[in-house]
Amino acid sequence: MALEPKDVLVRMHEELQRALKKAPGERRWVMVIDLRKCVGCHACTIACVAENKLPPGVVYRPVVEQERGTYPNVSQVFMPRPCFHCDEPPCVPVCPVNATYANEEGVVVMDYDRCIGCRYCLNACPYSARTTDFGHAYTDNLPMADGLIIGRETADDYERIPNFEYGKEWDRPGGLQSPVGNARKCHFCLHRVHEGELPACTTTCIGRATYYGDSNDPESLVSELITQSNAIRLREELGTKPKVYYLV
Amino acid sequence: MSKKDKLSRRDFIKVSAAAGSAAAILANLPSVQQAFAQTTQSAEGVFFESKPENQIYTVCLQCNTGCAIRVKLLNGVAAKIEGNPYSPWTLWPHPAFDTPIKDMATLDGGLCPKGQAGIQSAYDPYRIVSVLKRKPGTKRGAGQWVSVPFDKAIEEIVEGGNLFDEGNVEGFRSLYAMTDAALAKEMSAAVTKILDEKDAEKKKALVADFKKTFADHLDKMIDPDHPDLGPKNNQFAFVWGRLKNGRGDLFKRFVGDAFGSNNANGHTTVCQGSLYFSGKAMSEQFDGVSKFSGGSKFYWQTDTGNSEFVIYVGANVMEANYGPPQRVPKMTEGNVSGKSKFAVVDPRHSKAASKAWKWVPIKPGEDAALAMGMIRWIIENELHNVKFLSNTNKAAAAANGEKSWTTGPWLVKIKEGKPGKFLRGSELELVVKGTKTDAEGKEATIYTTPDGVEYGFDPFVALVDEQPALFDPNNADIPVQGAPLASVTLNGIECKTGLQIIYEEAQSHTVAEWAEIAGISENDILELATEFTSHGTKACADIHRGVSQHTNGFYNVIAWYTVNCLVGNPDHTGGMIKGTSYDYTGAKAEGPFILSKMYDGKQTKFGLDILRTNTTFEKSTLFDGIYPTKRPWFPLATDLYQEDIPSMGDMYPYQVKILMTYMSALNYALPSGQTVSEILADPKKIPLIICSDIFVGETSQYADYIFPDLSYLERWELHGTHPSVPWKVENIRNPAISIPGWPTVQVYGEEQPLSTEALMMAIAEKLELPAFGPNGMGEGVPFTRPEHLYLKQVANIAFGEKADGSDSVPEADDEELRIFLDARRHLPSSIFNADVWKAAIGNDESLWRKFVYVMNRGGRFQDFANAYKGDLVANAYGKQINLYQEKTATTINTMTGKTLQGYASYLAPGLSSLGEAIEDKGYDLSLITHKIITMTKARTISNYWLTAIEPEGYLLMSASDARNMGLSAGDRVRVSSASNPKGEWAEYDGNRKPMIAKVKVVEGMRPGVVSFPLGFGHWASGSTDIMIDGVTIAGDPRRAAGFHGNAAMRVDPHLGNVTLSDLVGGSAVFYDSKVKVEKA
Repeated sequence: MALEPKDVLVRMHEELQRALKKAPGERRWVMVIDLRKCVGCHACTIACVAENKLPPGVVYRPVVEQERGTYPNVSQVFMPRPCFHCDEPPCVPVCPVNATYANEEGVVVMDYDRCIGCRYCLNACPYSARTTDFGHAYTDNLPMADGLIIGRETADDYERIPNFEYGKEWDRPGGLQSPVGNARKCHFCLHRVHEGELPACTTTCIGRATYYGDSNDPESLVSELITQSNAIRLREELGTKPKVYYLV
Repeated sequence: MSKKDKLSRRDFIKVSAAAGSAAAILANLPSVQQAFAQTTQSAEGVFFESKPENQIYTVCLQCNTGCAIRVKLLNGVAAKIEGNPYSPWTLWPHPAFDTPIKDMATLDGGLCPKGQAGIQSAYDPYRIVSVLKRKPGTKRGAGQWVSVPFDKAIEEIVEGGNLFDEGNVEGFRSLYAMTDAALAKEMSAAVTKILDEKDAEKKKALVADFKKTFADHLDKMIDPDHPDLGPKNNQFAFVWGRLKNGRGDLFKRFVGDAFGSNNANGHTTVCQGSLYFSGKAMSEQFDGVSKFSGGSKFYWQTDTGNSEFVIYVGANVMEANYGPPQRVPKMTEGNVSGKSKFAVVDPRHSKAASKAWKWVPIKPGEDAALAMGMIRWIIENELHNVKFLSNTNKAAAAANGEKSWTTGPWLVKIKEGKPGKFLRGSELELVVKGTKTDAEGKEATIYTTPDGVEYGFDPFVALVDEQPALFDPNNADIPVQGAPLASVTLNGIECKTGLQIIYEEAQSHTVAEWAEIAGISENDILELATEFTSHGTKACADIHRGVSQHTNGFYNVIAWYTVNCLVGNPDHTGGMIKGTSYDYTGAKAEGPFILSKMYDGKQTKFGLDILRTNTTFEKSTLFDGIYPTKRPWFPLATDLYQEDIPSMGDMYPYQVKILMTYMSALNYALPSGQTVSEILADPKKIPLIICSDIFVGETSQYADYIFPDLSYLERWELHGTHPSVPWKVENIRNPAISIPGWPTVQVYGEEQPLSTEALMMAIAEKLELPAFGPNGMGEGVPFTRPEHLYLKQVANIAFGEKADGSDSVPEADDEELRIFLDARRHLPSSIFNADVWKAAIGNDESLWRKFVYVMNRGGRFQDFANAYKGDLVANAYGKQINLYQEKTATTINTMTGKTLQGYASYLAPGLSSLGEAIEDKGYDLSLITHKIITMTKARTISNYWLTAIEPEGYLLMSASDARNMGLSAGDRVRVSSASNPKGEWAEYDGNRKPMIAKVKVVEGMRPGVVSFPLGFGHWASGSTDIMIDGVTIAGDPRRAAGFHGNAAMRVDPHLGNVTLSDLVGGSAVFYDSKVKVEKA
């Protein structure tokens, strides 16, 4: 039997369905980012913003660009930086109200209803993976003129419709209701994952540089990748034990 | 216009949420929908994304790649966009087309950031929802508007009158002079006779005859003394920016078939004109009688997924091009697995360069020098593919396992050192001319050899075993393999093979000299050429606008295509390939709808187009023997975007009285765009300007009327394909959303969304034009709403290309049909009505279900494995490739009066229209442009998610230049040039925008070259205040931010009102300007 070629997105999608059949506590979600394949397109950043309806100032997965070398010997490095979902997350113990914790699947999540917006976690994260939602909108202050232009109130529907983080409906009608005022962070798109969809950053990746899956599944792509000799984790010396690996 | 009550946002969401599951909406549904809608109840809310009922498959238009997408809807709002998993654009390999759509609901394909952000293009607060008219008493461009009801606006533009308190303006009715197609046909035939007459005196006599014969109708002509200019109908010109098939067919039907104007012009030359028109020149085929014709306006790209080595030349393949979601996965996988590698030739260290095996920072415009160096080295070292290059004809190609053949081994006559026409058999007395009467009694010229072999034309000649051998290029039975390289005198006639001519051009410099011209090292050429010849036919040069948008663009392009032919990679897996899409016209299957025959009548359009492309100066009655002509003629190109407005400004060859633009930002997008604004602002030059636009844009701000259009998520189009896609495909753009409260209008008694289609159809209705209306597609077949055309096109795609239906897609089953209907439950009946849709394709249940099957997948995509047949691509080009071009070699440049060169040659870049070097002393930096992946020229500035990544355009400069000039990152500089010494955009009175940029300093830039990303620095498009009905619409400074440097690009010193151009391939020149950069 010949090996059928398959887009890694298709393979990971199949693995995801397999993992979802297990009890939540038996899966261990990890992410692998191949820096050799990242082309710095920022699709992951924007897909994440679109998926989670992130307002200005809130970014879960920026891509850092850096140029190295001297003309004509030049290189560019692109590094996406999601939350690393550490096994020893420094953000968790500092929370005065237990609003952030690692859930049974090992994903560091937020309880928006508990969060008081103190931002201790923002300071505690050595990877700067958390931001605060100040309640802004990209369409703030744009004009309205009924019958002449679409205007802000119709146009901002896409920003105001709810997002579904953590499987709940989070409306943004304006005002201060959660998640406005809260700390916000990457949650591996658990609401998508539980529906059988890969995280938004992973599916959109045009370089196929981002991999997601269950490292407790020895047959999974991520299990293969994290044991490669070129797999590293950022700032291992801190003992945070990230669940996000880079291939370099 | 029926202005629907606008719902407030919160109300709208509530109402639709309720409707989604309530029976209330059923009452409003057409019967077909009701039957299915009752069987389902779709859950809204938390899990909306993963349900197929909340997904509509369509096509992106955030750039021209046209990736297949899937819009995920929440209560009718486009909540998220993903890659369509059926499509070869977004998954590699793409899954089987017959996968049920419910199995695809949770599998998303890849998509670039612009694709993700498309939601913000559709929901742009600045989109206009009423027809706007320039406020009478104010100047064009002054930003003063009044809203006008649609019907009144149509009345005004059709009937004309004193519309702006500036005197009478002619409307469409006045230009609709020629209404009798039969008469036009007679006149057109008479004009053809005039054009074909070579003798000047006889030509004059024919004009006199024309005036006598058509004495009663001369008032219909633009100029009776020059009947070849055609009827007044031609004084209506339609100019478009981004337009694809489907919608394009409707628009061209309106302009040409219905109104009878010969002026429907696209934007090709602002993108990569010389790439397309060199493709046309290289693909002209011998017609079997006398001439080379039928060339396709197209280009080749690399079969990215199977190449082992690619040289990307001036191709920004990871940030723009066609396009990143489709090409990048193949490149990154090839890199990491070691299966392939690539080089990047570009003055800028692009993102692709960061992944490349080798970066070659060439001097702008010297791409042909590198190619010529490689050609010399490859042939000198005998590494060219002799087998491929010896094929003179179809049979020879087949005998050698190839699909295509070249004119490389054909013998060309050399006169006074200059290559001209191909040698013919009669010139060697190898054939005798005679006549023959065929079975039907028709007499035809034939050429016969002493052995009795007959040719229907004077045969071509190649050298076989050093002897001349005759051949027919299109013959499939008698292979002739000739020597690719030869120089010979036969019967006293000096001849060389086409390839020999090219080789000698390459030998005019040493490899080291070519490297010096290109500003690179000899070693660079050796490394590239060595690698290029180490992969058989799986090596390819992939070229794009960096190569073509120079004054020498045509020759740069054919030099690189020649490099590809040297290794014989055309049509090969991993070689240079072409794009193929499904036939939507019904021609191949002769049904279900043969659209070319579906007319109740149409105009016979004739006459010279305003761009002077459809005949030559020498044939026209304007010919006076004097060169240069007032403006250049373009016999080898069309769709010259930069020439549209300046030609109208000069009224050459005649005045355009009504200009209609569509999705067009001429003055923003074109080099030296400020010259365009100046002409647009003057009603004496173009008396009536009508723009279709989604907001008040840089060009539409100069309109007299702006008609609002739908965004790409609300409308139809067939996006087609690109040459790097080996599979046969068609992508179908169709309405995924409707903007709450979007106005509808009544046209032909049908309620339709306000749109460009409605604009054109309303004019057609008012003027009672043919090709539209209750019998517009034939007796009893209405064309009263756009779906009447678009749905037939999609049905044709679904039916396939075989008359017996064996190429059909499957029929949608009940479940797929239910999903199709349910997914459209949020669309108003003016946009989606299943009964109307089904009727538009003849109420044929089987065809309807096939239609639904295709719609459910957003298009039709050939299965992954079927794109290749062994070592060759299945959808092959498979024809003659003109390495040597007789037609080009016999074409006259009307600015110099000299014939063109018809083969890969080196020409210096940056020449004026007279072919002279331009010395801009004191302006020492070369200005180029680039694209970043977050921006597409004029239309993505509304995408705030994207501008959050890169908020403004900058001037990219090499670190060494910055050091020498004492500049550091973030410094503000003014950019000026010899043709714009003040360094500003001079727009309408009083509005001057200085060209000031922040400097971005990088090591990855060739010293001496500066660049800027396109897409920023707007002065309309929502960036500045406008006033409508006395209400100020405040502009958003985010849209004005940053630098847009097109106005610094060189104005042609001779013509004075247009950018530099490639007069052969037509390109508008982006990369041959010199600028000065001073601290602001």
